Amino acid sequence: MNLGRLELMKIRLSTYLWAILGIFVSLLSLGILFLFIFQIEAGGSGTSEEAELFANWNGLLALTTALAFACFSILAAVIAAKVIISEYCGRNAVILLSYPVNRKAILGTKCLVVSVITTVSAFISNTLVIGIMYISAHIFGIMPQMDTEHFFFTVLFSGFFMGILSSAVGMIATGFGWKKRSVVATIVCSLLIVCVLVNCITISPSNIIWVMLAISVVFVIIANFVYHVLANGIEKMEV
Amino acid sequence: MKTIVDVNSVEKSYGSTQVIKHCSFKIYEGEIYGLLGINGAGKTTLMKMILGLQQIDRGCIYVLGKEAGSDTEYLSNIGSVIENPTFYEHLNAGELLSMHLSYMQKKADISEALHLVGLENADKKRISEYSLGMKQRLGLARAIIHHPKLLILDEPLNGLDPIAITEMRGLMRKLANEGMSILLSSHIIGEVRHTADRIGILSDGYIKQELSRCISSGDTSKKRSVCEFVVNGEQKSPVENLEDYVIGLMRRERI
Repeated sequence: MNLGRLELMKIRLSTYLWAILGIFVSLLSLGILFLFIFQIEAGGSGTSEEAELFANWNGLLALTTALAFACFSILAAVIAAKVIISEYCGRNAVILLSYPVNRKAILGTKCLVVSVITTVSAFISNTLVIGIMYISAHIFGIMPQMDTEHFFFTVLFSGFFMGILSSAVGMIATGFGWKKRSVVATIVCSLLIVCVLVNCITISPSNIIWVMLAISVVFVIIANFVYHVLANGIEKMEV
Repeated sequence: MKTIVDVNSVEKSYGSTQVIKHCSFKIYEGEIYGLLGINGAGKTTLMKMILGLQQIDRGCIYVLGKEAGSDTEYLSNIGSVIENPTFYEHLNAGELLSMHLSYMQKKADISEALHLVGLENADKKRISEYSLGMKQRLGLARAIIHHPKLLILDEPLNGLDPIAITEMRGLMRKLANEGMSILLSSHIIGEVRHTADRIGILSDGYIKQELSRCISSGDTSKKRSVCEFVVNGEQKSPVENLEDYVIGLMRRERI
């Protein structure tokens, strides 16, 4: 039995694909805008401290990745709220728990579906946005170029860690949502976590891969703990 | 007769309120067991305990020889409609039943199940466009499609029109005649009276009285329409008026 296929049948995937496309277009628009900020600032009243962040690719990468992380973390929480919280806390729980399938297996599949959708879409979106920004800057000679190979790997790794981190934040938010039996609590919790982490991601733009790796490892461990608490709760759940 | 469900001295409390107290009854193969009780008597709780959706505080329930709640395997032989059935409304009936069969790890004819409940012409329609009665029928189709040995129906005739009610009663009888055991709960006496072979009156948290349909020799279909019940026990006293008898028992609980 393919539990993943069954989970995908339950959700309207097209709704989330449109949301992902919307996030991608918004991030791309902002990214293109970021390319011009340093020039605008430099041509005006001189270079401000804030504008320095837009002056090199490390700063731009950190900013774009942080924005993408914020969007995809909230998306992960929204999908998790629909796929996990509203299923187990709503009236569907009766039929869901009446199936001759291990409860933990169903929950595990749900979490996997949310994580895969989030990680893959975040990674592809971030890579494409920064790729298009880089090519645009190269064509129009806006930004100073850097070692393409090094930059390419930095984008790939930071995008991958950002995707993992987004799904981990979604999982942690689901834990809080489950405790409160509330979809709203899930989304609000993800917002609060995002507010804190966005500042951490942009703390050292030149070391973004290591910053992302460190935060991802910590949050994946927390998410794993939350998953086990959730799984034990659902195992003993009464409806 | 083969025992399909054996509820043995079961107890269940919610906080300090004991809902089920030393409740015992059995359901045999191919019979329709009607569970009658007032609102809040514990009918749904009992059904959920059979399905492993509620934990049992004391006592035990055996379903098809397996202890309820011990594992999930026995659930593949149970079909259920608990409370108002819910669906993934963006799917159509065919997709929903196909998904259900995958979860149940069984294969069956979807069109046959839809035909049985009178939804053969609506299988391509989205469930969000269904009326309440159609949803109730679809819930029943989902419960019977995998040919379970035990069918649990919690007030299954809610929202159905009189013609559909008659059809559903006929369907339940047909399924029971094919060997399926049915546990049917209701607080409407007429609903159980016309369908059940035995009636358990759930009052004060236990089966206060069990009645059996008295069928003598002769044309059983005629007997059903005029039949009465007898009180189970050492003295099989006939119940002259089922409504008065049941209401009398239920009133005592409410007082």
